[in-house]
Amino acid sequence: MKKPVIVCVDDERTVLSSLQTELMDALADEYLIETAEGGEDALALFEELLEDNYEIPLIISDCMMLGMPGDELLKRIHALSPKTFKILLTGQTNTEAVVNALNHANLYRHISKPWETSDLVLTVSEAIKTYFKDQLLDEQNKALKKVNATLSQTLDNLKATQQELIQSEKMATLGQLIAGVAHEINTPLGAIQSSVENIATFLNQTLEHLPTFFKEICLEHQQDFFALLKKSIQHETFLSSKEKRQLRKTMVRQLDEHRVEDATMIADTLVEMGICDNIEAFLPLLKAPKSQTILNTAYQLASLQKSTQTIMAASERAAKVVFALKSFARYDSSGEKVPTNLIEGIETVLTLYHNQLKHGIEIIKNYAQLPPVWGYPAELNQVWTNIIHNALQAMSYKGTLKIDVTEQDNHAIINITDSGIGIPDEIKQKIFEPFFTTKPTGEGCGLGLDIVKRIIDKHNGKITVESVVGKTTLTVYIPINPNEEKRHA
Amino acid sequence: MPKPVILCVDDEVVVLESLKIQLKQEFGDIYFYEMAESADEALEIIEELREDNIDILVIVSDWLMPGMKGDEFLIRVHDKYPGIIKVLLTGQADSEAIKRAQHQANLHRCLYKPWNAKELIETIKSGLA
Ligand SMILES: Nc1ncnc2c1ncn2[C@@H]1O[C@H](COP(=O)(O)OP(=O)(O)O)[C@@H](O)[C@H]1O
Ligand SMILES: [Mg+2]
Repeated sequence: MKKPVIVCVDDERTVLSSLQTELMDALADEYLIETAEGGEDALALFEELLEDNYEIPLIISDCMMLGMPGDELLKRIHALSPKTFKILLTGQTNTEAVVNALNHANLYRHISKPWETSDLVLTVSEAIKTYFKDQLLDEQNKALKKVNATLSQTLDNLKATQQELIQSEKMATLGQLIAGVAHEINTPLGAIQSSVENIATFLNQTLEHLPTFFKEICLEHQQDFFALLKKSIQHETFLSSKEKRQLRKTMVRQLDEHRVEDATMIADTLVEMGICDNIEAFLPLLKAPKSQTILNTAYQLASLQKSTQTIMAASERAAKVVFALKSFARYDSSGEKVPTNLIEGIETVLTLYHNQLKHGIEIIKNYAQLPPVWGYPAELNQVWTNIIHNALQAMSYKGTLKIDVTEQDNHAIINITDSGIGIPDEIKQKIFEPFFTTKPTGEGCGLGLDIVKRIIDKHNGKITVESVVGKTTLTVYIPINPNEEKRHA
Repeated sequence: MPKPVILCVDDEVVVLESLKIQLKQEFGDIYFYEMAESADEALEIIEELREDNIDILVIVSDWLMPGMKGDEFLIRVHDKYPGIIKVLLTGQADSEAIKRAQHQANLHRCLYKPWNAKELIETIKSGLA
């Protein structure tokens, strides 16, 4: 490594050489001591040294010189190398020059002639020491700035990653939802398909027999036939398979008492048609020799009715699911809060979860009347989704899910309670932290409640948790805020 | 003489209703049709029928139901009544469950929802043949 250089300038040779010897004696081991006999000379030397990449910690210049005075030289040197420390050698009357150098060249010290060697060496050593200290600081500062830049880049990356993770958590929850929803739409579609088939079969097979059928039965039976059909079509109560079996048994007994033949079959058909009581009126028909054909034809016609009812119910159900999907995915395009019906949002989420709920979850709902809340509907749906998803996981999809919605102190309060495993006290504080999870990969990445918390913060709300084994409640408070409402109105 | 029974199990009542209409349309009075909304209910019915000495020829069962799933149900039935013909009618394909039912319950066929009446009838006829 090159030795750093100390430059000495004076137009009097004797002064210059004594300066040089004194400094050499003290510092020659570590520094080169260069000399110049005037301002121009010094500037030329300086430029050369800088070009050759020498460190120049210090320049000592006489003040009164022919040509360029010392303060002017130091000013120029300062422009070339601001870091270099500058010392001026002055006579008695150079105050003006000192001030000039101080103001324009960042003068370090001035030493009066004649000087004491020890003073000179001390001042010079101090200057050099400070120079290198400054330089070190400078380097450290630069390094720090670099680290800082890297850190802020890293932070930006992290923020982007976080967004991606939030997105992927949303997608994961959504993916599971979609599997359920597919089933949820497939079931009514299947019902529609088989009902349509039944109607088609009827049209193909039974319809053409109807004219002959009516010709062959007597007027009295015709009347009974229509009475039977009417009663069947009017029947709307829903019967479970168990109830039907029970009714059938009772009816078989009744029919047996009246000595009707083939009681089991007849009872089955009648119950299927929804005819469960007052069968006495139909006894003549049932005892008639053609009773089987008459009853079966009535049954066929009644099932036509049942098929159309099924199609209606199934389309309604499919439409409900499609509607839920639509409102779930509703994009808050305006970026502004809109009046939001919280209960509708919760119901939407429950509709989409219906498939996961119906096998073993009992839902208890207590909804108070709520005014619309200013908020972001799609994001609030995400809140209910994440909380309900956790609740279902905590119960392994078996248990009770209780949802209470109340209004208090101008806040909507939503309690979601599950009968699951509960949250131990040690981790209660942590569950809202990003990436905190107790679940195996694939079931959770620990972002659900972090997302929930952010969304609730955006609504100036809060969320609390209470939990013991078998009873965990997450409570969400959302301000209803009528002021804002007025402002937007 | 009581008629032999075809038993259908599904937690969706509309499915049961469709099945019954389809079976009645095709087989009419030859058989008697029992419907159950869960595997437990089906097991109860089977016991009742057996007490009355009534034959069960075919069971058509959904797979995904609350409580006992279709494959476990059919395996249980098979342990006691290996002669009954067993058909799965399922909305979601769980290949493991189907495999279990095949190996341990001698599953006759597996039909996918939505199904059509023709394949259902053919499946039952081929089982009874
Ligand atoms: N209803 C709950 N019952 C029990 N534990 C819960 C419940 N909700 C959240 N937790 C706990 O909080 C943790 C963090 O939840 P969350 O942020 O949604 O992430 P993840 O569900 O992906 O683990 C869960 O891993 C679980 O331990
Ligand atoms: Mg979660």
